[in-house]
Amino acid sequence: MKPGSFLLALLIASAPLDAQTPGAAIPPAATEQTAAAEHVAGCEEYAPGDFITPHITDAHCLEVPGFPRFWEPHEVVLPRWAPIHIGGVVIDMSPTKHVIMLLIAALLCCVVLIGGARSHVHHTRIKGSPKGFGSGIEAMMLYIRNEVAVPNLGPHPNAYVPFILGLFWFVLFANLLGLIPFGSTATGNISVTATLALLTFLVVEFAGIRSNGFGYLRTIFYWNNDLPVVMRPLMFLLMSPIEVVGKLTKPFALAVRLFANMVAGHIVVLALIGLVFAFKSYLVGTAPLAMAVGIMMLELFVAFLQAFIFSLLASVFIGQMREGHH
Amino acid sequence: MRNLLRSLVLLAASATPALAEPAPKNLLDPNYGLMVWTLVIFVALLIVLTKFAFGPITKSVEAREQALEDAIGAAKRDREDSARVLAEHRAALDASRDEAQKIIAEARVAGDRVRADLVEQAHAEQANMLARARQEIETEKTRAIAELRREAVDLAILGAGKVIEKNLDDAGNRQLVESFLSSVTASAVSASR
Repeated sequence: MKPGSFLLALLIASAPLDAQTPGAAIPPAATEQTAAAEHVAGCEEYAPGDFITPHITDAHCLEVPGFPRFWEPHEVVLPRWAPIHIGGVVIDMSPTKHVIMLLIAALLCCVVLIGGARSHVHHTRIKGSPKGFGSGIEAMMLYIRNEVAVPNLGPHPNAYVPFILGLFWFVLFANLLGLIPFGSTATGNISVTATLALLTFLVVEFAGIRSNGFGYLRTIFYWNNDLPVVMRPLMFLLMSPIEVVGKLTKPFALAVRLFANMVAGHIVVLALIGLVFAFKSYLVGTAPLAMAVGIMMLELFVAFLQAFIFSLLASVFIGQMREGHH
Repeated sequence: MRNLLRSLVLLAASATPALAEPAPKNLLDPNYGLMVWTLVIFVALLIVLTKFAFGPITKSVEAREQALEDAIGAAKRDREDSARVLAEHRAALDASRDEAQKIIAEARVAGDRVRADLVEQAHAEQANMLARARQEIETEKTRAIAELRREAVDLAILGAGKVIEKNLDDAGNRQLVESFLSSVTASAVSASR
């Protein structure tokens, strides 16, 4: 995030004064209140000079290509539903841009993977080996399965392999959607990554309970029989909070890693593109453009890398938990 | 979780005012609706993919791996079979060659034995004939000696008759005859040798 914020500061410094004022005019306290009251903004809430925030945050509107001039975005306002109150928590289930993106990612996953599976099965039945698209899907799937999931999950990994594969493909498509025009990175939203991490956490704990039975409790309550009797309660008091914190750190790191990587990359790309307009010169603008293209390629790599890392770490955590604690 | 995130955000906001000020949005504020959406979408996706994509591909891959394994196993088996058959043929060839050698050797041994037998038989026959001839000669000789002795006795009797005719009790004559007879016997034995 550091280079991103630095570049953003550069951008703000170079922007015209009138572009800066609306953002600056809102006092920090009001900002906090606004964010607390309504963290998912509508379409036209931003300062005209700030084009980075709407790109990386969620909104209740969707940009779609215009027709017939597809390069002119057309904004579709998504419906607002009444929020649901469960206890003290207000849940606003209105579809947002990121919900749509998640749905598109899921749909793409289905189309690509089910299509690949069909082609794979079809060609395997006809001539004994897959070809083309099915073969490519098989290669990626088998790579994740045989190199990422199976070696880390421990013995009898088959029950957890679909979860790892699903995580990989879903995160990958959600990441890639942010790189195409009119798209947005749903995995650049902490809610999405936190949910995925939370689900991973639940799967990890479930795996621990299933393979260790009552031994699972020892992953929370530290009780080491190798220690002298006097030391056991002491270490119990000292280590048990650490064990609990260790448990919670893993999903937290998963969530923040994916979120920060996605957001940072996009901020860098957008800031570089912003520099082109800030300089208002063809000569100087070329350099940030070239850099933006470079960062975009890096982003393409990062999209795959982060999906890979998320699934890898999920399988490592599950495997660690299953192999029995200590 | 939310409070933790809040405090983190506040920390970040105080550390980087440049980011916080123009952006009224809080990037770390969770949206529970979106979280529920994510959960629902992901779980539904997981179920659909497991059923329609991962399952069939895994099954297909396993089937292909099985087929490949079977083919490799069959090829290995065939190779072992052919190697075994080759070894058998080679062994059979060796065996028949040995047999032929043995037969030739046996034939040679049998021939040798037959020849030896024949030679031995010839020798035996020869010896037999020789022995028989010798025996016959001996027999003839004995008979000839007996005949000669009878002849000599006859001659002696004849000579004695003649002497007696002339000189009936001449003791000196009788002694003469007797000495003559003994000389005849000795000479006859020496002649037969």
